[in-house]
Amino acid sequence: MDKLIDDEMLVAQFQAGRQNAFDELMKRYKSKIFSYLLRSVRNYEDAEDITIEVFFKAYRALEGWQPKAKFSTWLYKIASNLAIDYHRAKARHPVYALDDTEIPEARLVATDLHSDPEKQLEEKERGLLIREAVDQLSPKQKAVFMLSRYEGLQLKEVAETLDMAEGTVKIHLHRAVKRLQTLLRPLWENNEI
Amino acid sequence: MPKCKKSEGQAIDYASKLLPPAEEEPFEAHLKNCQDCSDAVASYTAVLALTDKAQDELIVPEIALKNIEMNVYKRLAATQEQTLLSRIRAYFVSGGSPFGWYKTAAVSSVAIALITAVVLIGKPFQSEETLRLTESQSADARIEEYRQQGIQRNLEEVLITRHLRNDAWETESQLHRMKEQAHGTNWTKVADKHLQSLQSGDSTAQ
Repeated sequence: MDKLIDDEMLVAQFQAGRQNAFDELMKRYKSKIFSYLLRSVRNYEDAEDITIEVFFKAYRALEGWQPKAKFSTWLYKIASNLAIDYHRAKARHPVYALDDTEIPEARLVATDLHSDPEKQLEEKERGLLIREAVDQLSPKQKAVFMLSRYEGLQLKEVAETLDMAEGTVKIHLHRAVKRLQTLLRPLWENNEI
Repeated sequence: MPKCKKSEGQAIDYASKLLPPAEEEPFEAHLKNCQDCSDAVASYTAVLALTDKAQDELIVPEIALKNIEMNVYKRLAATQEQTLLSRIRAYFVSGGSPFGWYKTAAVSSVAIALITAVVLIGKPFQSEETLRLTESQSADARIEEYRQQGIQRNLEEVLITRHLRNDAWETESQLHRMKEQAHGTNWTKVADKHLQSLQSGDSTAQ
């Protein structure tokens, strides 16, 4: 039995009144949605809050959900829309710059006691530079790139998630990769990464 | 950027492993004869490897995920409470029927009963000593106060999730966990009471 049927069955069970089916759906997708949002908003607390909002909205809308697309695509669509709202609000009311040291990756590197501290710092800086390059993509390019590259969505699913034609998704993806190549080339050529 | 414009998109698709299978073989044949495209594929592949590695370093800690489920249910519970309050408010604003005072009295009685129940369930065994705790109390007393507050919060969470999910097994295991945490305090009696009512199928203790 494939994952698509499993998710749909769980939704059907939830619609029939079995609340535990929603717990199972949350268990399956909370980590993926959290990571997707963490990559998008780059702030641990905000990613957690938006993840909660995604499942809150999903719970309330699931009663009338129809299997026109995969459940996961629908969930990513909610997450993607909330991430867009977040970025818009942030652009309107900029409070402080995003700080990469807030996210768990910084703690993760620090726990590796056997590696060279200087190398750790270089690795951390390298990671920061690359993630900043991804942040420089346009919102659409970034969304397409992340969903396709990190969430493993097919181009068709990315198109459904972002309400775009499949051809448009491909154009954004090509532009994103070319832009990243341009942004990262100087570091690469100077052997900084 | 390759000079061979025709294949630029294909170079990116090939590096991204998105090239349709039917186009793969002809493109690989093209790569053997086109240095521009080979260089482009190498460059795009390297860029994607770098971004993949940088993003893989972002790890969501398990502890964060543990709270998601509970917070979603809390959020849903808060919305349900809000809806109930809005309905009561709307009822009073609309004025009701000529015999509305009967309904008003009934709603008021239910509201008073609910508030009383919340107060009793919320702080059922709070002694005068706890109430008198101030900044000058010893650290041990304050830690004990925080412990009691934590147990109380856990009980409230059990009741909220029980109300929303109708999940007897999960509620029972949560109550057992709460009982363990509350060992040596009067909260164990509260947990026992809820466990008994749960096992007998009686919902009045909820």
